[in-house]
Amino acid sequence: MSNTFNFLANPSRFRIFAKNVYPYLLVIMSIFIIIGLWFGLFNSPPDYQQGETVRIMYVHVPAAWMALMVYLSMTIMSLFSLVWRHPLADILSKSSAPIGAAFTLIALVTGSVWGKPTWGTWWVWDARLTSVFILFLIYMGHIALVKAFEDEFKGARAAAILTLFGAFNLPIIKFSVDWWNTLHQPASVIKLDGPSIHVDMMIPLILMAVGFLFFYFSFLLINVQTELNQRKLKKLFIKKLNLN
Amino acid sequence: MRLFFKLVKRDIYLVIKGASDAGAAILFYLLAIIMFPLSSGTESNLLTTISGGAIWMAALFASLLSLDRLFRSDFEDGSLEQIVLSGISMELIVLSKCFAHWITNGLPIVLLSPILSLIIGLDFQYWWILALTLLLGTPSLTLIGATPAALSCAIGKGGVLTALVLLPLMLPVLILGSGAITAEISGLGGTGHIYALSAILPISLLISPFLASRSIRLGWE
Repeated sequence: MSNTFNFLANPSRFRIFAKNVYPYLLVIMSIFIIIGLWFGLFNSPPDYQQGETVRIMYVHVPAAWMALMVYLSMTIMSLFSLVWRHPLADILSKSSAPIGAAFTLIALVTGSVWGKPTWGTWWVWDARLTSVFILFLIYMGHIALVKAFEDEFKGARAAAILTLFGAFNLPIIKFSVDWWNTLHQPASVIKLDGPSIHVDMMIPLILMAVGFLFFYFSFLLINVQTELNQRKLKKLFIKKLNLN
Repeated sequence: MRLFFKLVKRDIYLVIKGASDAGAAILFYLLAIIMFPLSSGTESNLLTTISGGAIWMAALFASLLSLDRLFRSDFEDGSLEQIVLSGISMELIVLSKCFAHWITNGLPIVLLSPILSLIIGLDFQYWWILALTLLLGTPSLTLIGATPAALSCAIGKGGVLTALVLLPLMLPVLILGSGAITAEISGLGGTGHIYALSAILPISLLISPFLASRSIRLGWE
């Protein structure tokens, strides 16, 4: 295991790895999302209270999970970047941020579309919604901070510091529905005493969640390739300038 | 420890001499609070409900304004480098800067708040909860702001970007601080908010010196 990690730690080797692997991940992602959507839209029962609007959940919940997951992985990679100064960790963290921001935005928008018929309002300032909105702002701050630096290594390091600082928000988001009395319903899948959701709704939810996870992996590899190619281009350009 | 107080004394002296704009930030705090009744009407019922939030928001923006220059002037003229070279740990310098910033910015905000609560129409029996939340909240604001302020030194330009990075991190303090006042006025009791607010202070005291000193070193790399 550690050998594989060491092998992939080299950015140029990782570039080749990413180039070869991402098409497979895209295929896996499409399979899971297509089957999940089919289950979610046609082969699962409507809710006895919410009716058909419950189907929004199959996009909303996995997107919200991924918003947290991406930030968690960014936090771990920032730790790697600050402690071991790993160049690949910087690039992975930087490439994750736009994907995480997109997932957060999807979770916020679908949640508000679902909230209008169910709660009767687009938006309430309860703890869960507010903390996810703060997560979105932190993602945007991260992206802006990376872009503000002319030196990309410095920018990545600065972004790593910010990511670690913003990680305080993760437990707040996860437990906000338990700590405060919120309009947002408490967790029904990831709980200590097992999921309380019916299996017919569980199947599309899990399928979509796995699909979204592979969406993250495949698009992360695409972003990393772009980043690595850009750096290589810059290096070639400098080499050429020196030769002339 | 003696060095710590020497550094604090130096920073406070610089503020009194007018080299830093901490005094202007306090004036801004007063002006911003006066803006609220002028912009949203002088109806006393409305003012009572928004007054806690208004004072908190003014305090937040006042510290935001002065935080941008927390390390910058020393970073730019090289005196920060000289202090580090004299062998004091970077974390201690960050702490002393934050302490001096709180003395010159946070403390006046806390001391002025009972008088301002009269101006803006907060019922005077709630002055203690306003002062208490500000007393617990303003040091956290300074400490949370230290890292983005240090990052803005490393970028070389601050301003809007610092605010963009800083405000989401400061939001929990604002929510808890003004929430305590609203909860107390509505009769629910603000102690829960105050407990959470006082938990933020030691946590930020532990984390931010390390992250802020990493950020300043980043500027020297």
